[in-house]
Amino acid sequence: MRLKIWHKMIIGIAIPSLIVVLGSLINYGYISDTENRQRYVLIADDLKEHVLEVRRNEKNFFHFKNADYLHNLQSEISTLATSVKHISPKAVEEIGKEEFALFNETLNAYANLLNDLYESYQQESQVVEEVRAEGRELETLVSQGKLSQEITTSFILHLRLLEKNYMLFRDKKSFNELNNRLKQIRNVTPFCYRCNPYIAAINNLFSTYNKSDALANKIQDTGNSLEVITGKIVVREREKIGVFFTKTKRLLVIALIILCTVGPLLVYKTASYIVAPIKRLAEITEKIAEGDLTQRAPLREHDETYSLSTSFNTMLDHLQLTHDSLEHSLQLLHQKQAQLVESEKRATLGLLVSGVAHELNNPLNNISLTAETMREGLEEFSREELDDYIKDILSQSERAHNIVENLLDFARARRSTIMEKQDIIRIVKESFHLVANQLRINNIKLEQHIPDIALFVKGNRSKLEQILVSIFTNAIQAMKTDGTLTVRVTQESENKNILIKIHDTGPGISENDIKNIFEPFFTTKPVGEGTGLGLSVSRSLVMEHKGELRVESTLDKGTTFIITLPPFEVTS
Amino acid sequence: MENNIRIMVVDDEPIVGKRLKQTLEKDGYVVEAFTDSLIATNEFEKNPFDIIITDLKMEKIDGMNILENVKRKNPDTKVIIITGVGKWLTATEAFEKGAFDFIIKPFKLDEIRDVVQRAVKDLST
Repeated sequence: MRLKIWHKMIIGIAIPSLIVVLGSLINYGYISDTENRQRYVLIADDLKEHVLEVRRNEKNFFHFKNADYLHNLQSEISTLATSVKHISPKAVEEIGKEEFALFNETLNAYANLLNDLYESYQQESQVVEEVRAEGRELETLVSQGKLSQEITTSFILHLRLLEKNYMLFRDKKSFNELNNRLKQIRNVTPFCYRCNPYIAAINNLFSTYNKSDALANKIQDTGNSLEVITGKIVVREREKIGVFFTKTKRLLVIALIILCTVGPLLVYKTASYIVAPIKRLAEITEKIAEGDLTQRAPLREHDETYSLSTSFNTMLDHLQLTHDSLEHSLQLLHQKQAQLVESEKRATLGLLVSGVAHELNNPLNNISLTAETMREGLEEFSREELDDYIKDILSQSERAHNIVENLLDFARARRSTIMEKQDIIRIVKESFHLVANQLRINNIKLEQHIPDIALFVKGNRSKLEQILVSIFTNAIQAMKTDGTLTVRVTQESENKNILIKIHDTGPGISENDIKNIFEPFFTTKPVGEGTGLGLSVSRSLVMEHKGELRVESTLDKGTTFIITLPPFEVTS
Repeated sequence: MENNIRIMVVDDEPIVGKRLKQTLEKDGYVVEAFTDSLIATNEFEKNPFDIIITDLKMEKIDGMNILENVKRKNPDTKVIIITGVGKWLTATEAFEKGAFDFIIKPFKLDEIRDVVQRAVKDLST
């Protein structure tokens, strides 16, 4: 997938939203369609009502058969026709052109039929008048006896009754009775010429009535057709609305189902697409944290994590380089430190050697002066004087010899690294010899508070001496001239630890410097005069002896170095 | 004329004083040797010397202080410094304070003689 995270997020959000929007839009369309459809239903209902009104008037017209009712009916029809005409072409189109065409056609036919019926009714009243006139004529002829004897007055009266019944009921039964009676007349008097006009009038009545009835039937049929058409329209419009509602409901359900299934799926997919590369990075970071610097982030996705991964990898490359170079530097540092520790040793040794050289200078000077004096006055000297000279030379030789012996002792001891039982009191006292010259040169008084017993520690003689000489030298250099170096050795009653306190009356160490005093290469001396390793090396040597080196200082009062050493234990 | 020259030797090494006294007295000078610089100081406060030969590094009062004291008391007195520490800074400081010359240990008797003679010559001018 070459998509950016925000693209993925947009897809994840946009698709469900699109589903919702589309569903809503379609439903909106359906609902407004339904609204329109409702108008068509109203139109159809309206039509149907008008048709029913027309039918009501039609019945009245059938019943009363006069012009007034015909007018009512016609005005209803024209109202109906007008309202149909006013229906918008769009509504006509939507509801159904054919239905409207059929409806209009039927309505026209209906109106025409009505006119025919009206004419027929007018004809009927003429015919009825004719029948009644001929009947009355017949009655007159019977009473005058101008008809054959078979036809009696009662017969005629009965005939007129049948005639009235037929006019009143216009049904099959009264038609048959009347027709049979007319047949009787023909049977009785086949050649009754006087009867013929009446019979002709009745037959005319029959045909007129038939015509009217046929017309009325046709009108009823047409009316029914109108009703059927409008009924159909109404039903169909209602059905259409129903269909819309069903569609809307179905669409809503479908949209909901899609949203409920696709939505979570998309959200899940999007989330995992976004999280996957970050997860991979996190896994790699964990591995790196465990120390595997060779790990690199895979460059799979071309989204925002791509640049993150590349920068991450670049950072790792740098880190590895730095790591390697640091390791190299550390190795170098270890080497240099070893060299520096060695050079500090040499510096201490150098200081001792120069002290020794200075110390040797005096006896040598004395010997050479004495020898020169002897040579210059060899003949004049008495035996006693010569003895004196020789004694001087010997004592000064002895003095020089002792100095050299001391140095050799020190040098021999330096080579040993063995930790063994040592009397710390003796070592302290002997260390004073090593700095005696420095003390003298700098005019520094030495105050000793050292018990007259042996106190044993487990240690290395030369290292212990190195510690003491280093701290003594430091104290002497701090005081410069005219100070007092106080060395106090005590044993703690509780844990039997041995405390060596070396106090000087120098200027003290500032709070800022005291924090760094045991740091390697830290020095307050001018450049070239101190390696800055003396105290650092001393402390590490004290720690080799499982001891502790502390410092306490007050500005303008002086400084105290305190060496704590554990006592020698037989078991160790 | 050399009989009038008074020389003081100050060195905490007694043999140095002893030998210089012997040698310089043989040469005709009046010599007094001291190992204690304090006593020596008291001495020249009482009786002035023409030449003072002093060690530099000593307990109590060192050579530099003696030089200062002598020069304050009697600027004409020639002070010759003996030292085992041949440091230029010390030498420069001493010359600034009016030392006549320097002798570095170990030294020959002729070196002393030479410096003393030059000092005597300097005194007479």
